Amino acid sequence: MTSRSDCTTAERLAGAIAVGEASESERDAYRGHLAGCQRCLHDLGGEREIERVIGAVTRARNEERWEPDLRSQLARRPRPRHAWMWGAALAAVIALIVGVRGAEKPVPVAPAHAISAQEARSLVALGTQIAPHREGRAESLAVGATTLSTAFELSLDERGIPVRCTITKSSGVADLDQSVCRAAMHAHYSPKRGQP
Amino acid sequence: MNRNVEVCHRADAIAVAQARVESLVLEYQTKLARYVRRMVGDAEAALDLTQEVFLSAYRMLQADPSRELNAGWLYRAATNAAISFLRRRKILRMVPLDREIDRSTWRVDERSAASVDLQAALARLAPEQSASLLLTSYAGYSSSEAAAILGTTSDAVRQRVCRAMRVLRSIMKEDME
Repeated sequence: MTSRSDCTTAERLAGAIAVGEASESERDAYRGHLAGCQRCLHDLGGEREIERVIGAVTRARNEERWEPDLRSQLARRPRPRHAWMWGAALAAVIALIVGVRGAEKPVPVAPAHAISAQEARSLVALGTQIAPHREGRAESLAVGATTLSTAFELSLDERGIPVRCTITKSSGVADLDQSVCRAAMHAHYSPKRGQP
Repeated sequence: MNRNVEVCHRADAIAVAQARVESLVLEYQTKLARYVRRMVGDAEAALDLTQEVFLSAYRMLQADPSRELNAGWLYRAATNAAISFLRRRKILRMVPLDREIDRSTWRVDERSAASVDLQAALARLAPEQSASLLLTSYAGYSSSEAAAILGTTSDAVRQRVCRAMRVLRSIMKEDME
């Protein structure tokens, strides 16, 4: 007669066998439990059976071919001389991407002002595969204020290529406004996978 | 003058953080994204979540460039991100108890028997059980390393692996029948 706590112990032993950490004495203890417990024998199986089942996990892993690349084309662009200014510009680009994505999905996203210029650069360096969903027509996308309170409107054609950038709310610094638009115009907006 | 020095230090910290995160991305992006994809059953969501993990790493390193960030930290952050995602999704879809078990919604390309069986099992498991199974048998961590990542004991990990394995075994049996 085995108790519930014996079965709990057997589960831990089976887990140790599954992850390949069971000592010989643990394996003996497991065999001993199975000899007297039909339920565990039925539910968990013997050592061979455990190894067979876990083999499916390693097989699934070994068969995987998915190799995502989190680094975008932007990451390969030359480093800007005025890092802070480009950082702000890229923050605007990220704000655009996040904004567009937010519009696509009902789940709320972090507001644009929560992303600092440096974080934006990092996001870009890490590669943003987030892209606006398009229906094969040109569209204008309004963007909220960035950390530096520059707002702009970017028009994309159906291939995702920016065609026009208009400052809708100036930061008060003309150079910065221009940088924001320049960065937005030079960014790549790849179509969502599986979409035109 | 002091402000200039401060700006330089800040720029250094940013450069260091960026370089370290870039090397972490290069080394772990595939492993981590595959792990997250298995956890959530959706490649696109996995990409977003993995990206969030590296962004968190960047924030940490920027705040403290000397901080040690290793694979364990990345897996812990990825696990937490995946579990939060699954909970959010469950609330949004008002799925009662199980995770999404409709196979047609998976976005895991590999369709071999082992891959499909594993994903079916993961969809039926509690996220903590999935994480225990994946961290050990899939990502190759020992039960004590997985326990450190999950903030639990190695006995608890072994028990979760056993329960996960039981579900996987029953699915494999169903396929045989």
